[in-house]
Amino acid sequence: MAEYRLDCLGEACPVPLLKTQKKLAELKVGDVLVVEIDHSCAMKNVPEWARKEGHPVEIEEVGDGEWEVYIEKAK
Amino acid sequence: MSLQENRIFKAVIKEPWPYTTGAILLAVLNIALFAISNAPWGVTTAFSYWGGWLAKTFGIPVEQWFYFAEPHRQALKLSFFTHSGTLMNLGIIVGALLAALAASQFKLKKIKSVAQVIAAICGGLLMGYGARLAFGCNIGALFSGVASSSLHGWLFMVFMFVGAWIGSKLLVKYFM
Amino acid sequence: MEIQQARETAVRRTPKKRKNQLPIAIIVLILVIVLAVVFGQISSGLAVAWIFGVAFGVVLQKSRFCFTAAFRDPILTGGTSLSKAVLTAISIALAGFAVIQLFALQSGKGVPGAVNPVGIHVAIGATMFGIGAVISGGCASGTLMRFGEGFMMQWLSLAFFVVGSLWGAHDFGWWQQAVISASPKIHLPSLLGWPAALILQFAVLGGLFFLADWWGKKRNQA
Repeated sequence: MAEYRLDCLGEACPVPLLKTQKKLAELKVGDVLVVEIDHSCAMKNVPEWARKEGHPVEIEEVGDGEWEVYIEKAK
Repeated sequence: MSLQENRIFKAVIKEPWPYTTGAILLAVLNIALFAISNAPWGVTTAFSYWGGWLAKTFGIPVEQWFYFAEPHRQALKLSFFTHSGTLMNLGIIVGALLAALAASQFKLKKIKSVAQVIAAICGGLLMGYGARLAFGCNIGALFSGVASSSLHGWLFMVFMFVGAWIGSKLLVKYFM
Repeated sequence: MEIQQARETAVRRTPKKRKNQLPIAIIVLILVIVLAVVFGQISSGLAVAWIFGVAFGVVLQKSRFCFTAAFRDPILTGGTSLSKAVLTAISIALAGFAVIQLFALQSGKGVPGAVNPVGIHVAIGATMFGIGAVISGGCASGTLMRFGEGFMMQWLSLAFFVVGSLWGAHDFGWWQQAVISASPKIHLPSLLGWPAALILQFAVLGGLFFLADWWGKKRNQA
């Protein structure tokens, strides 16, 4: 049950989602991945993808135009 | 209850809209624009005019080029604030700024790496040249072209996909 | 739950000062209206272009619409929701445009709209455009929208977009002679008749929609 952070600040689409997909595949079930993004499109497509895959997701707006997406690996 | 907590404010101003909402609104706007101005939405022709005006001020004889002498001979008579396509493009920039500010989500995002610089330069050049050749971009050739029942729009769709496929391979290999 | 804990500790760890940008938005909005009036003094067409531009920008940003992602995501990430959205937008516009074109034809005018020569130049141009849009993270409308959102990368790509456009304009005469002059403008309803052309086009758009839907579900199970 570890927590991992993924810095995607300054990355343009689709890089944040690709990195998230890759990183999440490496984690164990129950681990939480925190994706840091400031790309307004990624704050929509990263959570959308994770929810579709069946992982619980939360989004926190941590700054102006900056978000942290919390993904708990469910399977 | 503050404005930021208001349900309607949140749904309209703060949270992103569903893609389908965007699709419907963009289609309605494009139809309305076509009905009012007799020309559908396009973006990239204005970019070639910007280039033409700039080149002209540097003394490059652009008026001798076929493009500015024949199909776009009115272009060089216009300027930044008397060309409707230019104002529409500036409007898109300001509209996006307005929407981001209203949601308190505006942030200056610096260039992160050399790879991004190269990607931006190559991507910009390829899109600029490609759009002139293809008679439009994703908007002028694809969205407005297919909606105008023009075969060139459909051909654009097929080869845009080919280009996106090649671009995706390059992106993963060199720009990530 | 794990995720709640992680979220709470993270929020405590990263207390950032948040500014309310709404007042600046209101100033920008007033500026938009003032400029609309100013442009309207020069000509109504300029005011219309300005207002539509702002509206396009707001809608693109709010819905995070991205024509590039519609083509790229099915290949890279398996997402097809934007592909379906783009097909929806095109389908609605097709219906509306058909009505406008029919009215124009009835009153004896030529076919209005974005009907342009079709040939190998479109294939080459669209391929170049596709590559460029994916690597620079946005097509023409996407670059403008992200410009406004403060992405400096797109400021740079817009500058080179203009350079590339000028380059294309410079070579246009050559392409005109080599390819474009021999390429016909094909308006499908003029070629096939309205019913056949519309049925065909809606069928293809619908088919692509179902294909995108199937692909999105298939990729998700993998």
